[in-house]
Formats: sequence, structure tokens, C-alpha cells
Amino acid sequence: MYPLTGAIIAVKPKHFQILGIVLSTMFAFFIVFLYATEPRSLEELTRKASSTVGDALTKGQVIAGTYEVDPAKFAQGLALFNAGDYPGARSSFEAADPEKRDAATQFYIAYSFYRQGWGRFSNDDELFKKGIEAAKKAQTLDGGFVSKDQGLKLKTPAALATELEEGVRITADDFNPMRALEERK
Amino acid sequence: MEQLESEIVDSEIVLDSDDAISTPRSGALAPAAIERRRALLYYLVLPLTLLLVTLLGGIRFSSGSIVYIRPALIYLIFAAGLMILFFVANLVRFDGWISERFDITKNLINAITLFALFAASVQVFNSVIPESGIPFWIVSFCFLWTLWNNLFSNFDTKRLLRSLAAMFSLAFVVKYVVLANLARPAEQGWVDAIINNPAQTAATWLLDIPQFSAATGYLQFFTIAIFVIALWFFPNSTEE
Repeated sequence: MYPLTGAIIAVKPKHFQILGIVLSTMFAFFIVFLYATEPRSLEELTRKASSTVGDALTKGQVIAGTYEVDPAKFAQGLALFNAGDYPGARSSFEAADPEKRDAATQFYIAYSFYRQGWGRFSNDDELFKKGIEAAKKAQTLDGGFVSKDQGLKLKTPAALATELEEGVRITADDFNPMRALEERK
Repeated sequence: MEQLESEIVDSEIVLDSDDAISTPRSGALAPAAIERRRALLYYLVLPLTLLLVTLLGGIRFSSGSIVYIRPALIYLIFAAGLMILFFVANLVRFDGWISERFDITKNLINAITLFALFAASVQVFNSVIPESGIPFWIVSFCFLWTLWNNLFSNFDTKRLLRSLAAMFSLAFVVKYVVLANLARPAEQGWVDAIINNPAQTAATWLLDIPQFSAATGYLQFFTIAIFVIALWFFPNSTEE
């Protein structure tokens, strides 16, 4: 006796229609997902599927208003930042705030670009430009944000953005030999 | 379908409700059972089979990894032409699939099935037309010529199916047998290929033939076969 076509459990055409709509829609989404992400192997497929589900969940949290920064990853980022591992700190901060919605996290990301890019004789313009972007993002998220971190001399995103912009700009002051005595903030 | 309908139905008790009781005899099919089997084919097997063709049509294997080839814009135009051909040849009767006489779920699943037919057609063109170079343009032109001519021919359903099977199988042979043998093996390095297979290397370079593993040909053979079989079972109307 076939479970779908047998007479004991009467399956009506309507049930097939509903099942067909559900299965076809799911299959169609799966095809679109495969062609959009182009996984090269089954392992990559699993990884990309979990990453897509993770992104969807985060977006769902944002829509529902329950989005929060991961405190463990933020603390890890802060520890790496204080230890001077700025790329590592950025990686942790980005993982803590994947949707870039927390001013404090974005401020620390900007500060990590500043500290990594700062040089006694010349600055790394590329890192400073990325820092400006992150500092402006932090300022947009919370215009009144003031850092309570005693280890940071620049307390607000605006001050940090100004410092970074001055670092990128070429002025007569850049050729002042006394600049070598300046300290990183 | 016609075969199912023509089977002799003997007397039997069938109550088409949640607590249905039936006493089917061997060799006899009740109208309700036929209806269920037809529903299974129309609303589950056909859309899922066509979506399977959509999935497989763009897959290629190259050096141990899977490559997904997205369809070119021209394949959408070809598929649109093919859909018109289906309607003209009465393989699909539009008002037999989408109609105000049907309820919303039936219209919805039928729309999904028609869309799956279009998507599968796109991917079959993607499967049999070479990906790049002169062969792409030559085979594309041949398809355009054939489809354009067919649009103004008098086709019945069977003739159309035979014509499509012949057209896709010829294109398959050109791509996966003729051109694949002209191309330098994917695993062979350039220096080795120039020394051992200068003609194949020159053909690969001149014709810009992409190199895929042999498994691609096998997969695409079954993809085209599934598509043609799905078309064979495709009813021109879902009306009872």
C-alpha cells in the first residue's frame, strides 16, 4: 500500500498542491542559494549555508530590535587591542558587531586603524582612511559617544576622525623635525 | 496519462474523505486513485523534476571542484521562444494551467510548474551551448535559426517533442563529444600539451574551448534526458 496514493489515508489533490508549493519553493531557494554562493565542495556548501543562516538570524534580530553586540567577542577584541594586536582586535570587534550597529565597537575599530597606521615619521594613509570611515560610522551611530577608556587620549569619534584626517593631509607641519618627538595618542 | 485513463475500472467502494474506505481489485483503478496519481505527477513530480533540471543544467566539473555556470541572457530569449513554441504546438494550453476556474492553490502550483519549465529550458540551453568563443556563437545562431523557423511551422505535440529531442541531442554531441575531443585535457599542463598534443592545444586556444572533466558530459546527458522525459509527461492542461 502506497502511503501517498493508498486509499486508507485519503490524500486529496489539494494536499499534493500544497506540498508541491512548499517543496518547489524550498528547492527553488536552494538552487538560487547554490548559484549565488557557488560552493566548490560539500564542505564549502555546509560552511556557506551556516554563514547564510547566521546572517539571516542577525538580520532578523536587527528587524526585531533584539540585536546586541557579542560581549565575549568584544572583551576578546579589547584584550587584543590593549596588547597591541590591532588586526586581531579588529577581527574580534567585527565578529562582535557584524551589523556595524554599535558606536563603541566601531570607535575601537577606528582607533585600531589609527594606532596601527601611526608612525613617528609618516603614517599609513590606507589604514588612516579606513579609520576615518569607521570613526564617522561611530559618530553617525551615536553622536554623543564619549569613551571611558583611560588608555585612550582621543575620547570621541569626532576627535579621532579629525586626528586621522590631519594624518592623511600633507601640510607644512609634516616637515617639522619636532614632529618626531610627538607621541601616539 | 492516456494509458492511465484507458484502464478498465471495475466496481469498487471509494469514499473520498479523510476516513475513506476502499476495496480496490487487482488491475483496476478507481477514478479517485487515478486522480491522486495524476495529482502526484502534476503537482509534485513535474515541478520538482523540472527544478532538478534547472539545478543540474549549469553544473560543470573542473579539476575536482564544482563550477556553477550562470545562464547567459540569450538563453532566456531562447527559452522564451521555446515556451511560445510549446503554446503554439499545444504542448501547453495556457488556460488549462492558469484559469479563474481553478482555486488559488492550483493556480499557484501551476504557475510554479510553468516557471520551472521556463527555468529548466533556460538551463538546458545553458547545458548544450558551448560557454564561450566561436562555438558559442555558431551553436547559438543554429538554435536561433531553428527556433525562429519552428515558430512558423505547423507542429503537433509529438513532432515538436521529436524535433526538440533531436535538436538537443545534436547540440549535446557537438559540445560534449566533438568539441570536448578537440579540447586539451583539463589536467594537462601547457608545456606538456604543446609538446604532446599541439593540434588539440591550438584548437583549444583558437576556439576558446573551456576545459571540463569528463563527468560533466555524463551529468549533462542525464539532465537532457530528464528534461525530455519531463516534457513527454507534461500535460497540455490540468483540468479534470
